[in-house]
Amino acid sequence: MTLSLNEIESTAKKAARGGGYPWGLAEEAASATRWLHSNDLDGCAALASLLDRVDGQEIASWSPNPCNNVWSVEGMLCPIAAGAAISDRAQEIAESEIWLGPIAQPILLAPFAAHVAQTLKKTITVRYDDTEASTDGEKIRLSGVCPKASSWAWIGINGSVDQPNRKRHRARPDAAAWNALVTYAHRTYAPATEESRLRGAGAGLSDND
Amino acid sequence: MSQVEPHIARREPARVMTLRRLGSFHQCRLSFMRVLTRRMANEAWSFSRPEFEFDENGVGRAVYTATGPLRSYSLVAFAHDLPDELRSDRVIAEAWDATFALFDGVPKQDDIDRLSRNVPFQEAGRVTEAELSLSRANRSVRLWSHVVDSLAEGRQPDQEMIDDVGYLMRTTAVYGSGKFGAADREVIADRPEMHPPFQAEMLSVYLTRAFVRDLVQHMARAKGGARSVVLDRDIARRLGIGNSTGLGMAPYIVNHPVLFNNWIMAREEAISRIRSLASATSQEVSIFLDLLARSEASVARWTTEHPIQIAKLSDLRRDLKGLRGFISGGGLDGPNPWDRLFVWSEKALSEEGQELVASLIMEPYGEMVDGLADCMADSYSAAFRIDGSMPVEEVRQLIETSFGWALNMKWDDPQNCARAWYVSEEKLEPRLGERFEEPIADYEQPLAPARDAAAAFEALKTWIDDSPIAEFLLKHPEHRHTVRRAQISRNAPYGEIRDNTIGAGVMPIDMLRAKLSFFGATHFDPRSDRWVRICMYGGAPYPDELTPENADFWIYPEPAE
Repeated sequence: MTLSLNEIESTAKKAARGGGYPWGLAEEAASATRWLHSNDLDGCAALASLLDRVDGQEIASWSPNPCNNVWSVEGMLCPIAAGAAISDRAQEIAESEIWLGPIAQPILLAPFAAHVAQTLKKTITVRYDDTEASTDGEKIRLSGVCPKASSWAWIGINGSVDQPNRKRHRARPDAAAWNALVTYAHRTYAPATEESRLRGAGAGLSDND
Repeated sequence: MSQVEPHIARREPARVMTLRRLGSFHQCRLSFMRVLTRRMANEAWSFSRPEFEFDENGVGRAVYTATGPLRSYSLVAFAHDLPDELRSDRVIAEAWDATFALFDGVPKQDDIDRLSRNVPFQEAGRVTEAELSLSRANRSVRLWSHVVDSLAEGRQPDQEMIDDVGYLMRTTAVYGSGKFGAADREVIADRPEMHPPFQAEMLSVYLTRAFVRDLVQHMARAKGGARSVVLDRDIARRLGIGNSTGLGMAPYIVNHPVLFNNWIMAREEAISRIRSLASATSQEVSIFLDLLARSEASVARWTTEHPIQIAKLSDLRRDLKGLRGFISGGGLDGPNPWDRLFVWSEKALSEEGQELVASLIMEPYGEMVDGLADCMADSYSAAFRIDGSMPVEEVRQLIETSFGWALNMKWDDPQNCARAWYVSEEKLEPRLGERFEEPIADYEQPLAPARDAAAAFEALKTWIDDSPIAEFLLKHPEHRHTVRRAQISRNAPYGEIRDNTIGAGVMPIDMLRAKLSFFGATHFDPRSDRWVRICMYGGAPYPDELTPENADFWIYPEPAE
């Protein structure tokens, strides 16, 4: 069974919200997850693993504190919060590369690198461990693996997208990861009550004639 | 006709985007049903019914194929024998009289078999990238039996009953854009016939109407045999497809500010172009007058039991009389006729009447208006990206432009935040609840952009004017969605509703009507403050009748003789 990218995005958004992210970052997480799947990468697996890690914690403690081009934290950076900050600072990356770490699920930085690539109209590369991910905004060329975390990641103008991943209209996420996201998403649904059933959708006049 | 650069500006978003006005919108030339029927007629689409197999209880399946110059699309329909007690239009229903999928192409037997195992279960089944929509419909029990019985007994159904209900079946959800496994919008968005919004969904409903006529005929023949007669063509024409729409549509227009902006902006641009015309030919005036008379006939047939809509209809009927008076007093004589009419309507008519005039003045000018339908899709994905280098002061100004009216409201006053939008775990039905009476606040959806804008504005007050918004967002990720919307509003000035969407007095049906009017719906009949029944394609030519001559103005009924 394959899923539409719309299903991936809407479930990822609710899952990130259910996992404690504010709506604006949940939107970023959803867009990033969809982008990875559109490039044949399992964004759901990355997001589910991230949510397991940050669940129940303050997002602030996972957020970067950028004062120069080295963003380091005591604990672990969240790639959604860090990625959004990178996307917001696209113009700064035109002038200087950024080092950041330690970071969870660094592959989730790639969609934000794609934002930077679109803004700057340049190829942007993210490097961590032995992995290199280059993107022109639309496509990605990935060599290496997708670790759960990395002690450092580097992002800057560099690389090429020759021989990119296949573009996909459908997604085949890992089943366990998808189920985990569905479970996180469920936290955003209000419990069914009789009162809610009667009032919430405006029963009003009969719907049957 | 003179093609002029419009010198009359589009109306201000602050004037257009109030819930009262959005809740008074009417269909127009840019409505998605009319865009579709015009295209199908102009491109001489052909239609066929390769399969139609039903038993005497009306259980079975059918396929209807529509073929344009480049591609075919097929409605695969399943009809069921539904016990009356299971019939519900709510999202929480689990069985329906008929269920449908719009197949991308012509389905093979394997496809139909696959769909037969999924489509009848709707949300509990799965469709694939080969399907563009998933939908279902319920019968109007009283009209259905009346029509079947009448035809079976050899007579035509009662015209008054037909007009009273207006449809034999009503759809209760039409899911597109990747829902439940269907193809994403992006898969079809570049096809010319699917580029304007909701064309797949509108085609699905158009073919559903043909199916419903055939099914009711089949049932009458099964019941009456040789005694039965064929449903009169004129009576069939008047029947549309009903639709029950609940709260799902309200979040949609809030969650798609660029798309909603494009719809409103296209219509406002059309209005400004027509208002800018220095003169009108007698032929143009005569088209307007003809359609005004037909609008009067349509409004005369519009019934509702909802007190608010009853009052609005009474205003509209008075408006139509006033409009007649203005025109017979020479209101359209002389220069700038449409602008003078428009300016007069703003003073003399209710919002229902003003918006009807706005829609009607476009009618004689297809060449100036219809091309705008291609600007109504959202292909601006870059809008999502936040420009973090924007100075704080500029973000403040953007927020003030859209939400200046909301910044001094007391948002903690229970009257101003009495409601909360949420999604129930019960089949994920979207609902609106009482924040202070129900345990729902923790589940609130981000559907109060005005309240959120006021909160972000307050947080921004202490920030230095020229600091980049990226710094603020790092400290305040909770305002990220508001900053995104503020930046979107630069290019989408009609993207934000200029009203409180969570106040004690909010009428969600206003939001539903705004969206449904762009579909081309008529005869809005609110059944509560949260859901509305409408009619789609009432008066439209059936596939075998569609021609360029009847493809456009079918939405206006001929006045009664």
